[in-house]
Amino acid sequence: MVWNRKIAFINLSTGKVSQKLVSKTMRTLYLGGRGLNMHMLYTLLKPKTDPLGHENVLFVGAGLLGGIPCLGSGRCDIAAKSPLTGAVGDSNIGGFFAPELRFAGFDHLAITGKADKPVYLLIKNGEVEIKDASHLWGEDTFETQTVIKRDEDDQNIKSLVIGVAGENLVRFANVRTGMKNSAGRTGMGCVMGSKNLKAIAARGTVPLDFAYPDELLEYCKQMNNMITSTRWAKAQSRWGTMIIYSNTNTTGLIRTRNFQLNRLEEGEDLEPENIDRYSIGTSGCYGCAVHCRHRYVLREGPYAPLYGEGPEYTSLGAFGTMVDCKKMETILVANHLVNKYGVDTLETGGLIAWAMELYEKGILNDKMTDGLKLQWGDEEAVYEMIRKIAYRDGFGNTLADGFRGAIAKIGNGSEYYAIQIKGMSNLHSDERPTPSFALGIATSTRGADHLRSRPAIDLYGLPEDLLKEIYGGSVATDYNSYDGKSRMVWWQELLYAITDSIGTCKFQTVFCAVHAPKWKEFSKLIQLATGMKLSKAQLMDIGERIYTVERLFNLREGFSRKDDSLPERYFKEPTPIGLPAARNKKIDRKKFNKMLDEYYELHGWDNNGIPTMETLKKLHLDKEPSNLT
Amino acid sequence: MQKILAIDPEKCTGCRLCETACSIHNEKTCAPERARIHVTKWENEGIYIPMVCQQCDIPICETVCPMHAVKRDTDTQAVIIDEKLCVGCRLCVQFCPFGAIGVNDKTKTITKCDLCGGEPVCVKFCQPEALQYIDTITLNQRKRRAAAKKFSEYLKKMLITI
Amino acid sequence: MSEVRCLNCLERFPVAPKAEMATCPKCKTKYRISWPTPNQAKIKGLA
Repeated sequence: MVWNRKIAFINLSTGKVSQKLVSKTMRTLYLGGRGLNMHMLYTLLKPKTDPLGHENVLFVGAGLLGGIPCLGSGRCDIAAKSPLTGAVGDSNIGGFFAPELRFAGFDHLAITGKADKPVYLLIKNGEVEIKDASHLWGEDTFETQTVIKRDEDDQNIKSLVIGVAGENLVRFANVRTGMKNSAGRTGMGCVMGSKNLKAIAARGTVPLDFAYPDELLEYCKQMNNMITSTRWAKAQSRWGTMIIYSNTNTTGLIRTRNFQLNRLEEGEDLEPENIDRYSIGTSGCYGCAVHCRHRYVLREGPYAPLYGEGPEYTSLGAFGTMVDCKKMETILVANHLVNKYGVDTLETGGLIAWAMELYEKGILNDKMTDGLKLQWGDEEAVYEMIRKIAYRDGFGNTLADGFRGAIAKIGNGSEYYAIQIKGMSNLHSDERPTPSFALGIATSTRGADHLRSRPAIDLYGLPEDLLKEIYGGSVATDYNSYDGKSRMVWWQELLYAITDSIGTCKFQTVFCAVHAPKWKEFSKLIQLATGMKLSKAQLMDIGERIYTVERLFNLREGFSRKDDSLPERYFKEPTPIGLPAARNKKIDRKKFNKMLDEYYELHGWDNNGIPTMETLKKLHLDKEPSNLT
Repeated sequence: MQKILAIDPEKCTGCRLCETACSIHNEKTCAPERARIHVTKWENEGIYIPMVCQQCDIPICETVCPMHAVKRDTDTQAVIIDEKLCVGCRLCVQFCPFGAIGVNDKTKTITKCDLCGGEPVCVKFCQPEALQYIDTITLNQRKRRAAAKKFSEYLKKMLITI
Repeated sequence: MSEVRCLNCLERFPVAPKAEMATCPKCKTKYRISWPTPNQAKIKGLA
């Protein structure tokens, strides 16, 4: 049953492990996964905690529905104070780890302290063991998992691991599992590295019981049918998230040459269909009927033979459009490299693209880049920069501190060219023609980010009555419009907070598919799995509570309304190319601010983005240690 | 026509929906270890092979069972275990060459695939159709057609050129 | 018959089975087409 699930508190400094049941109140208020992680992050961390200090806590959480046979229920949420942004650190990872953690007897882990030598955690059937990882230090993310399986003599072990980037405290180092899955954003791998924690391995046979197993099974089948019958899932099953490129590059919504262009001309080789040249089939995460990632093989060229998985749309931009590389093969090699070293694909690509623009503008020169010519389209320079960042070698050391650190070091007007918010790189999307997307990246609690709220269906030009039905208020059909877009962003923020807390995949709710499972379906799944009866309104309140807790955390760390903005270029430079709807577009500052006001109001926050006492009371947050002065 | 639970590893995406659904259907709980089907993986090479009872014509489990508890279902032809006769000696577990017979870690009873009485749940959950419940004639027909497709395309080209 | 949505004017229009090219009847934008499934077309890029 859901009420006997546990959380393990692990202190790496003392080696002490304690266990506690996840309380019924916490479940009802936060569900699990991201929700519970955010609650603990806010309540257990002191204000101004050093992200790399032993007081920072790394939270690992399986979703409330982790393990059910539908909607990719294997998502795991990893949180801590971010060493990249200083704000909420939170990253979500697919694969098979979260269900295995539950089978091993735990829903959540809270890891504090710092080990005096490299260690890994072995979590097995209700027990936590801290084991020596000296022999794993320096190994890449693939080999680390292989060695753990071999050492423990169990091929079914699932591990969360860091690569050399995490060991070297690269501020955007990620946490990885399997060949493909990464908790990429906000530097959770860096936090693991700072704790000398190389890996968390889980394995177990503890069963997950459900309130109504037969009815749940039948409903899960319906959910899988519901998502796989959408046009989005069908295309995604075939070519993965790279299909987004077909629309965004054709339209002109994709950052190219950092932020100089909004479409990659002659970018045909990056079209998703070309993955067929390398693919041996697709692969799915736990409980997923969509299977959006490719298993690819490079059989020729200097990097062959190479087996990898992915790449995502993100890597197409990170090592394609943003750096002006036009070959699919470059994406596959670079994707493999970032995965191997364990560094966020998006942050890495964003920083390299920025450095290339600075090099072009003369703000960086050969002396500063260790003689490396950071020229557009030079894939070898990209590969070398990835390595230099992961090892903090030379100029890589500058970029390894992320935008904030690098801007401080380089100075000389470099900040203007940085496409980042709250210290985190934006996706390779160009939001100037789409105010809804622009608001979403500005307000995201973890820095420039599309996965907190992106209302991707805004691009579909849906009829107003349908939009009203979905979003519960008036939203303009036109994606260039600012009208009602704050409502879209707010609504999506709440929906994704729930998705991340029940532990299902965002691609299997209203992301790119309109008729995908959402409130009603989540409510029924929760009821059949746990017996908890939560209406749509109650789920929205939980989403609001989670998002507001994240907001409170950031406010406590000194973030405010001024940080909910966009890079200056969004307001100053219009998009130069693309289809008419995407061309000659920039963000109107006045309209943007109005949108932001409306957005705060929808959340129940005041004009400065501070939750009102009324809101805090409504969400049962008024008794939390707000530490707000 | 006799149906079999046919596996096509080339189509398997490794999602383990089959294991999960099997365990919930048969054991009313989510515990892949108690499932009758398991996806065996070589993760670093991207190879996934679902393994399940092959319902052998000459079942080794039946041969070694001292209690004659292993029988064949007359409708589905599945090899099934009569729980009333089973004494839990686990010889079947030891001798099955496919690792397809398990022991429930809680009840200690023997578990194996019984084709869900003719409607295998794993098949219903397998979106890429790596699992199919199908008669051998149709299965072979499809396989022959898929294998001959390239040849047919070559012939078509030849005929058009000539 | 499968439909695609024009990325320029957002008009939905039908695409002939197996077609590799299509033109939006409303705004005349020309696209290259691909087929994730035999029954579902998608836009590949501009023609």
